[in-house]
Amino acid sequence: MAGASFPTREAVDFVVVGSGAAGGVVAKELAEAGHSVVQLEQGPHLQAADFRHDEWGTFNNHDLTWSHRQGHPQTFRKSADETATVRDRVCNYAHNVGGSSLHFSGNFWRLRPIDFMEASARGTIAGTNFADWPIRYEELEPYYTRVDWEVGVSGLQGPWDPPRSRDYPCPPMPVKGSDVLLERGARALGRTAYPAPVAILSQPHNGRPGCIHCGFCLGFGCEVNAKSSSMITMIPAALASGNYELRTHCTVSRVETDASGRASEVVYFGEDGAEQSQRARAVVICANGAETPRLLLMSESPRHPDGLANSSGFVGRNLMFNGYSEVTGLFPEPVNAWKSIPATRVVHDWYEIDPAEGFYGGGGIDGRHPVRSGTPMESALASSMLGGPTWGAEYKARLREEFNHTAAFDGHTTSLPLDSNNITLDPEVRDKWGRPAIRCTYMDHPDDLATMRFFMERSVEMMEAAGALQIHATYPEDGQTNSSHMLGTCRMGDDPATSVIDRHHRSHDVPNLFLCDGSSLVTSSRGQPTMTIMALAFRAAEHIDRFARSNEI
Amino acid sequence: MRRHILSRRALLRSTLEALPRSAIALSMPAILAACSRAGQNQLDGIGLQLLGGEEAEEFAAIADRIIPPDNTPGAREAGAVHFMDAVLGDQRERELQILRDGLEELQNRANAEFQAASFSALNAKQQDQLLREIENTDFFATIRYLTVAGMFALPEYGGNRDGVGNELIGYEPRSVWQPPFGFYDEDYMNRGGQ
Repeated sequence: MAGASFPTREAVDFVVVGSGAAGGVVAKELAEAGHSVVQLEQGPHLQAADFRHDEWGTFNNHDLTWSHRQGHPQTFRKSADETATVRDRVCNYAHNVGGSSLHFSGNFWRLRPIDFMEASARGTIAGTNFADWPIRYEELEPYYTRVDWEVGVSGLQGPWDPPRSRDYPCPPMPVKGSDVLLERGARALGRTAYPAPVAILSQPHNGRPGCIHCGFCLGFGCEVNAKSSSMITMIPAALASGNYELRTHCTVSRVETDASGRASEVVYFGEDGAEQSQRARAVVICANGAETPRLLLMSESPRHPDGLANSSGFVGRNLMFNGYSEVTGLFPEPVNAWKSIPATRVVHDWYEIDPAEGFYGGGGIDGRHPVRSGTPMESALASSMLGGPTWGAEYKARLREEFNHTAAFDGHTTSLPLDSNNITLDPEVRDKWGRPAIRCTYMDHPDDLATMRFFMERSVEMMEAAGALQIHATYPEDGQTNSSHMLGTCRMGDDPATSVIDRHHRSHDVPNLFLCDGSSLVTSSRGQPTMTIMALAFRAAEHIDRFARSNEI
Repeated sequence: MRRHILSRRALLRSTLEALPRSAIALSMPAILAACSRAGQNQLDGIGLQLLGGEEAEEFAAIADRIIPPDNTPGAREAGAVHFMDAVLGDQRERELQILRDGLEELQNRANAEFQAASFSALNAKQQDQLLREIENTDFFATIRYLTVAGMFALPEYGGNRDGVGNELIGYEPRSVWQPPFGFYDEDYMNRGGQ
């Protein structure tokens, strides 16, 4: 299905910037509702047949995530008094149709009702921008269910899970040895490991096949389309609508506004490097929590001197990475955690850490392979994670043992929104198009670090209870320097002074500019945000369509 | 505290500022073609494209101490140097320079401590002693990284010949698996999910 073709000098109803978890949903929904839509994507339109079990290309050449090797440097610093330097990995995301939904691990935890109202439930936290969301779980629930069914999620409702209006379309994925061990450790301590909800099909659904458990999942595109990416679930439907044009290899540099202050066109570099511009009646930016604020900041003008939609000064602020901890155990029998998907069980007993601990936080623990991808080269590079030499005869002996006989219990945790953690434009470094590079400034809040440590300790206890022969525990105690989760940088809120978009994803400043992606989140989730990003996108599209129909844009 | 792999990578590339000339889409058809050529060259006994014969022999000797042969092949036999030869030509000028500078320094040590003209001329014990002396250098981190990567990369890149890396760790390159995947999930199923 080739889709439609629109002239650039005539305004389409919508330009959607980015085709990832949010952009794919928004574009498909608006196109199916009858609006003309041009979607601009900086990467290629890859298909299942393009994906291979190539670790060198994936993790070292950054084929999907790009880096300075592809002309897209990013810089990092821990605080504003440092000069940021170019790093290999800072804000990681996949540059292709489908965005990071193509290469993610598909953990699709819903938020719980508490996530939307945590500040009022437990109190605000001094020195942070911790706040309630302007919407509640009940408002988002129907869209979570649409994601379950239209995108495709496998799982099993647990007694403590948030209420749902419809069952999962697919049963949970088969349990892996690493998660049997997690369940064993949890049960011994009176905790509960429950089937993890994932955006990976356990059986055929919507014309796509079930997972074949190849093991090359996190970081890789799915070779059989069992992973529920935007690329395979949304884009084909958008193309079939007849109202939708997908332009790949198009890198947006600016959103222009007209004399009345409304967004009027989107300027981009085409594959050949020529600058072009698409006129639009409205613009939806779904470029992710790093690129969306970057684009707004690059779109400064005399009318918007601090960047577009930034009268609050909140564009780029409140960046939240989510935290993590990793605890590896060696077991006597083969675990083979490198097969199948990353995680099949999760322990949510510490969704909210008891305030008596003296810090704010919460999260979940799932069982995995000790390297997140679970793949041979990454594993060998990381050995000997349990200690011992990293080369020579003993290293070789450890390689034989550790790839198959290890499991990891990984914590996934909250981050607090802070002014000091943010996305800005690097004053020196530019990308291949001459655009200022993303400059990321980030240092985990002390409560976030305490939360990671707390989860590491709980994982160690469960690892001991599971019978591990040897244990290695770690968390980024010096602060994280990169993430695949870029959240909160254009937060949603009722007050234009402290948020960038309203509860319907409309910019407070520019009436025909909408933002929807990880940047919209008010709080960080418990470390698995994509399900919520997609649910927000379905909801945003419904409101945007309604505004368009009632001439309210 | 981060994993060794992350800090090592950060070390390798944190100061890279230069913008590359070309945009690569996926799996670099060009480099993969070069790598396939390297793999084929190795099988055909044809020489290397980038590395000189003498330095290649030295790198192979070092690689073989990082993953030494025992009852299974070491990194030399796995073709680690052919992997290096293929990937170092793809925008990795900095790593190549680190390797060449580090080798010169290592050879000076071999000469000073053992009056040997090359690293390869030393016995295994002497080689290990020298490598232990330099194991915290950029040079060692780089060649260790490339040796291990070459041992486990897709064989098309020139290393992991005949899948010897896969065999070493018990990885079977298949596309399709069915549960049970290992001992513990099989045991769990046999006991009815307990």
